[in-house]
Amino acid sequence: MPDLRVVGKSYPQIDALEKATGRTEFVSDLVLPNMLYGRVLRSPHAHARIAHMDVSRAKALTGVRAVVGYGDTPGIKFGPRSEDWTIMARDKALFEGDELAAVAAVDEDTAEEALELIQVEYEVLPAVFDPMEAMQPGAPLVHEDKPGNIAAEFKLDVGDVDEALRNSYFVYEDSFYTNQVYQAYLEPMGAVAQADLSGRLTMWVGTQIPNMMRMTYARALGISPENMRIVVPDYGGAFGAKMENNVHLVAAVLAQKSKRPVKLINTRQDDFLAGNPRVPMYIDIKLGVARDGILTGKDVRVVGGNGARTVYAQAIVATACYRADSLYRFKHVRAEGYTVYTNTVPTGCFRGFGNSQMTFVLETAMDVVAEHLGMDPLELRLRNGIGPGEVSVHGWKIGAGGLAECLTRATESAQWKEKRERKQPLKGIGLACCNHVSGNRAFVREFDGGAGLVRVGRDGRVTVYHGESDMGQGQKTAFAQIVAERLGIPLELIIVAPVDTDISPFGLGSFATRGTMMGGNGVLAAAEKAFHQLAEVVADMLEAAPEDIVSENGLFFVKGAPDRGFPFIEVAEAAAFKRGGAPIVGVGYYSPPTELPDPVTKFGNISPAYPFGCHIAEVEVNPDTGQVTVVNFTAAHDVGRAINPMAVEGQIQGGVAQGLGWVLMEKMVVENGRAANPNFLDYEIPGPLDVPDVVSILVEPIESEGPYGAKGIGEPALNPVMAAITNAIYDATGVRIKRLPATPETLLAKMQELKRP
Amino acid sequence: MKVPLSLVVNGEKYELEIMPNRTLLDVIRIDLGLTGTKKGCGQGKCGTCTVLLNGVPVNACLILAPQANGKEVLTIEGLGSEGLHPLQKAFAEKGAVQCGYCTPGMIMTAKGFLDSHPHPSGDQVRAAIGGNLCRCTGYKAIVEAILAAASAQEL
Repeated sequence: MPDLRVVGKSYPQIDALEKATGRTEFVSDLVLPNMLYGRVLRSPHAHARIAHMDVSRAKALTGVRAVVGYGDTPGIKFGPRSEDWTIMARDKALFEGDELAAVAAVDEDTAEEALELIQVEYEVLPAVFDPMEAMQPGAPLVHEDKPGNIAAEFKLDVGDVDEALRNSYFVYEDSFYTNQVYQAYLEPMGAVAQADLSGRLTMWVGTQIPNMMRMTYARALGISPENMRIVVPDYGGAFGAKMENNVHLVAAVLAQKSKRPVKLINTRQDDFLAGNPRVPMYIDIKLGVARDGILTGKDVRVVGGNGARTVYAQAIVATACYRADSLYRFKHVRAEGYTVYTNTVPTGCFRGFGNSQMTFVLETAMDVVAEHLGMDPLELRLRNGIGPGEVSVHGWKIGAGGLAECLTRATESAQWKEKRERKQPLKGIGLACCNHVSGNRAFVREFDGGAGLVRVGRDGRVTVYHGESDMGQGQKTAFAQIVAERLGIPLELIIVAPVDTDISPFGLGSFATRGTMMGGNGVLAAAEKAFHQLAEVVADMLEAAPEDIVSENGLFFVKGAPDRGFPFIEVAEAAAFKRGGAPIVGVGYYSPPTELPDPVTKFGNISPAYPFGCHIAEVEVNPDTGQVTVVNFTAAHDVGRAINPMAVEGQIQGGVAQGLGWVLMEKMVVENGRAANPNFLDYEIPGPLDVPDVVSILVEPIESEGPYGAKGIGEPALNPVMAAITNAIYDATGVRIKRLPATPETLLAKMQELKRP
Repeated sequence: MKVPLSLVVNGEKYELEIMPNRTLLDVIRIDLGLTGTKKGCGQGKCGTCTVLLNGVPVNACLILAPQANGKEVLTIEGLGSEGLHPLQKAFAEKGAVQCGYCTPGMIMTAKGFLDSHPHPSGDQVRAAIGGNLCRCTGYKAIVEAILAAASAQEL
């Protein structure tokens, strides 16, 4: 590969100064002429029949322009995965927070006042909140047509697990629980919606999946996708949550009814009640090992809470069931998974997508196994870790996998061996690894891939269009770097357009750590096409062959003769003038060499590349309070080539902070179906005093499938955190954490239990 | 029912008539259209709405607008009116900006802090921004940016 000038260098986000000066318009900052403000009336009950609803007093309030309920929607059942949604509740509320009605008014205060004037008579119904209880015979049904409250089942059986476990030297068997947590992006969900005279809807939404959302929402509203345009302005974080949500559709219905633009942004409480929080999971595991430390078999049972309607929990439970199998050289694995309806908030994606839940369990189990064998946990992982060029039990082609290098570099940097030998009371060190994907062929059955469109204007400004989504992670900057590198021009000349479904390629969006891999390859292919067109123009100007043209630092020239070159801006202008003003437009795409997994065996290479990571946590435990302080944290990540090392490090720091919040602090408390802490005062996320500086280590084996050798980082940055910390807590106290979170009171109670004779 | 409100925001004088229960945040964002100041929780916990009131960082969502009557407000739009403020520059350069939603409030808190503590330690910076939440960065880059801005201001 030639010397890189832009890729591989740390740059601030291309719009960082816009954000730092308050100029960036986030979704909740948008104002359209004549715009109304919406609010949603949400159910106060977890399960209730709506006996009667009277909106007449709300309608009569001065300033109210529309009041809508189920009767104002097309009444179509729909959903991203399962058609168990309606835009508002028809006759039953299925969870606290379920959408019953909505108001659009001239200002927020009036909309709020109108909500209080809507009178609803409820007939409270028996409800069920825990997925294990919901599976029991006789449990109240969330949907009458879903017996046993089962939303989905997953089964996998590869090799002979029973035989493998029978022949094991040791089998660890235990039960775990990972709790429901909230993504806590700082800008709540919402949308601005506007219908034109023909009925065509435009929605400005902060979403990770604009194109897929458009398909789902068009179906829900009974219009063709062409009659819906989704634009993605800047938005304030997502972490998996900002996919389909009824709040956007309620905004659309209000806009249709009022014939005016409507802005509907969740209050923070509404966002807690009806966002798409993490899937809670009960996980049972059996992990077998031979005397020499070679893993023999893995058998898991996962029960995940779907909430009252299906967002993505079934795919998340499936992922929990089998993704981590490709971290090690397993041959015999079995899994069964159940996704179960409950009368609680619908659950969705949160950084890690089920793999984080299972990684906590598997990496805890690895720690137990290592101790039983009297083996260093590092050694156990080195013996079993999947290596470059290997193919995993599920047919995953690991490519340039850097797990071993992550392990060695993290342990060296953290002084793992020395610190384990120098054992001190109430201080502990723990290690955990993870694997992940960079795109997931199993998620969207139709296709996987990415596309880009690169437009070179007469003035030498280059606009990049893509169909993914920058939720704040810096995707626009990575794409700009890739295009600048390929065109041989300065980064400053690149503009990355907001995703607009009228113009942008049909991208699947930003999830599954796929943005850099899929979208990056897409814009790289587009830049390649644009470069060839530019090269033809320059070849004409220089009377040379197009294939001899190269570009560097904004200069286009015949290879070896930079003194006779033309500045990029002159080339762009010459191109436009020669072509009747037509801009140069390069359109390209990337179609990854992945396979749709077999429906039964799940065998198939689902991702073009697989990132790995190794985290090491050091903790101190206060014996009087049970308070855990994470004093040092080391995170080594195999990211392929880091397109922007500073951005990658930012992902690692942020991912570790988020994982730390989950394992030590965060807990959505539900009491009798009611959220007890739906706000930031009672649901605490890590603040600046809770998070240590993370020593981040970038392991960069060049991945041949990736754009300039890159793969993703988003989710792996979080996946190992929980087990690294709980393994360190075990090292410090002898307490095995099997339920998240490890709050001071639970840890203290367990430490006291250990002391009893 | 409305009451008069006199404010100086970013050096400009405003005479408004508002409902007495209106928050300073709504006045800034909606009545004045200065949307650089964000709303994250409405309960004074996340700090995204931080502005300086007579030079002191406050959560604008917790201040009733009449409490600010006759006072001076500085928002992110008023910072560095003659070019970029060192904090804005440092936040960009150090990678302290990811989604950017916490950034204006974080910078205003830091500005209020640095005005009274020009030579802070890293621990002091962490304590000073203790009331501002960020979900993207893990805070390391933010602390580095504030320290870098403090050094730049000395020059």
